[in-house]
Amino acid sequence: MPQIITEENLRNLIDLLVKESKVVVGPKETGSVVLYQPLTAGSDLRLDSLPRRSAKELFFPICENILTYQRQDGKMQVTDVDRSHFPETVLIGAPPCDAASPAILDAVFSWDYNDEFYLERRRKSTIVGIACTKGDDACFCTAVGLARDTEAGSDLFLTPLKDGSYGCKAVTEKGKALVDAHAALFGEAASVDAALFVEQGTEKLDLAKIKNWLEGHFEDPLWEKIADICVGCGSCAFICPACHCFDINDEGSTEQGSRRKHWDACGFSKFTNHASGHNPRDVQNKRYRNRIMHKFKYYDDKFGKTLCTGCGRCVRACPVGIDIAEILSTINAKQD
Amino acid sequence: MNAKANKNQGSCIEPSYYQAVTKAIRTQAVQILKEGTVAGLVGYLPGRRKGTARPALITTPEEAEKLIFSPACVNNLSVYLTKSKKGVLKQGRIGIVAKGCDMRALAGLMGESQIKREDLFIIAVDCAGVYGSGAERSETVTEANIARKCLECSVHHPEGADFVAGSATDLSGLTPLEAEEMARIEALPQAERWAFWKEHFSRCIRCMACRQVCPFCYCEQCLCDKNRPQAVESSPRPAGNTAWHIVRAMHLAGRCGGCAECERVCPMDIPLNLLNRRMAKELKELYDYEAGLAPAEKGPLTQYREDDDQSFIK
Ligand code: SF4
Ligand code: SF4
Ligand code: SF4
Ligand code: SF4
Ligand code: SF4
Repeated sequence: MPQIITEENLRNLIDLLVKESKVVVGPKETGSVVLYQPLTAGSDLRLDSLPRRSAKELFFPICENILTYQRQDGKMQVTDVDRSHFPETVLIGAPPCDAASPAILDAVFSWDYNDEFYLERRRKSTIVGIACTKGDDACFCTAVGLARDTEAGSDLFLTPLKDGSYGCKAVTEKGKALVDAHAALFGEAASVDAALFVEQGTEKLDLAKIKNWLEGHFEDPLWEKIADICVGCGSCAFICPACHCFDINDEGSTEQGSRRKHWDACGFSKFTNHASGHNPRDVQNKRYRNRIMHKFKYYDDKFGKTLCTGCGRCVRACPVGIDIAEILSTINAKQD
Repeated sequence: MNAKANKNQGSCIEPSYYQAVTKAIRTQAVQILKEGTVAGLVGYLPGRRKGTARPALITTPEEAEKLIFSPACVNNLSVYLTKSKKGVLKQGRIGIVAKGCDMRALAGLMGESQIKREDLFIIAVDCAGVYGSGAERSETVTEANIARKCLECSVHHPEGADFVAGSATDLSGLTPLEAEEMARIEALPQAERWAFWKEHFSRCIRCMACRQVCPFCYCEQCLCDKNRPQAVESSPRPAGNTAWHIVRAMHLAGRCGGCAECERVCPMDIPLNLLNRRMAKELKELYDYEAGLAPAEKGPLTQYREDDDQSFIK
């Protein structure tokens, strides 16, 4: 028998988890925008719009201290951040384009170096994904190999049903543990009739073909054509579930302060500025090329994964209307 | 098309008006490119998604045939004439499509010796308004989906251009939401005002989109990118965010043309134009100065005079 949870019980589950001192994060109204934020109660959960920023910030915060320093009696005292205090966290309500991203990012954060800040948060988190019923003309998850009902990356996966409840599938042990611990909230349904989804208009992309083209076109007029209008802000990278570049800065005074890890973006003109003053990506088209290369070639070369989930956030947010889906389909259509 | 036919109040501007403007822009752009009057032109092309548009750098008459003007033409294209985009357009005289509110930026940039009038060919748009953030991209512009700046626009009949596309539109009688919001915030006790901005600044992710689209943020070395020594904390935390917003507002006081691009592009919906407008009000009260369409003079905060009041220096 398929398992279900009613909308009311989903909210009760959040209330219960909060009572158990777990941190529950989900889409929540914050000012005029919906963001992934800690929920104080089940009633906070908003499932009708894609949060403006992706769920990556749960594991890879916008900004975090990685150590603090203090000068005492002329001696510098350096203190590491105690990562054992990172809380057990349940992420609820991430659509496939967000739920899939941590699993993609695990590769880069545990490659030549284990980023324990990221990895410890991953260990302590459970992701409750939800099949998407929304889709707009900026979305293209289906074009990059995901789908409205992709379970990859979720520990527990919910499917909105026509009767307003959710079908539940434990995808991993973590997901099963979550269900088992709150079994009373879950019920069994005779059949599950999934709610409808508005189909996306984008055609399927041949990612292997695109990668192949990128391999041979490091120098191509296309990059200038696109990047001529790019203003080099970080919008597209910062709100992307897959972008993961960061900078490390020491901030504070000579007496005390913190070393901080915070988001950075390859679109910034100073991103690759060397101490010598030389900047290998000195113009915008080289920077935008890197964005596409990183997502659709380099990451695949290294980790066998594509660094884009087709969420469409960058398409919606780009101040000058640069549309990654359009660029990919242009490349996809190229014969040489 | 006469003025009354284009009246926006209560109803909407008809799509046919934008089509007429589009046609006029195309004809003019093709002509000046063919004649060699300009080496290139900054205008708008349609985007892939329904009801969208994006900036484009046009160098051939064939491309110019595809130019559009629609309610989605929100960008202030003058940013492409500044130092920060240097080298993007071929040298020579440059054409630019400019709405009235964008022309204030052109005037300001001329006043700051960043561009020369004779190097420009301005195709101005007698503007009937553009979509606001998050607007339903329907066929028409209505009071419900128009940008907030357009609700109180005073420059939709631009003057001083080389060519004007479209004829007199009437945007009168709209509710000035932005002015109302500013009045509301000004009336709040200081602590509440501070809480308002604190909440907004807390969402800032320091993506710098607001800086990158601003025509007046053309400094090659921004104070906020400086890290040896670090002038403003670059990490997105309360201290650095507040400092960034103060720096931004102060550096633009008396220079900001009011295009509201900074606010439009903010992915975190931070109402930056309220700060800009507050600074503009300050400049008006203190120096009787307003950013306008006349490029002649320098702004009060960007010039030095022997007889400047020095009494505040202790
Ligand atoms: S590149 Fe754009 S569409 Fe792809 S995951 Fe990032 S924000 Fe989403
Ligand atoms: S959001 Fe757009 S303008 Fe900004 S860096 Fe990305 S592509 Fe360029
Ligand atoms: S402010 Fe005026 S000129 Fe600018 S877009 Fe709105 S109506 Fe047009
Ligand atoms: S655009 Fe918005 S989020 Fe980005 S730096 Fe400016 S105020 Fe902050
Ligand atoms: S500060 Fe904002 S409103 Fe003023 S000119 Fe710059 S982008 Fe336009």
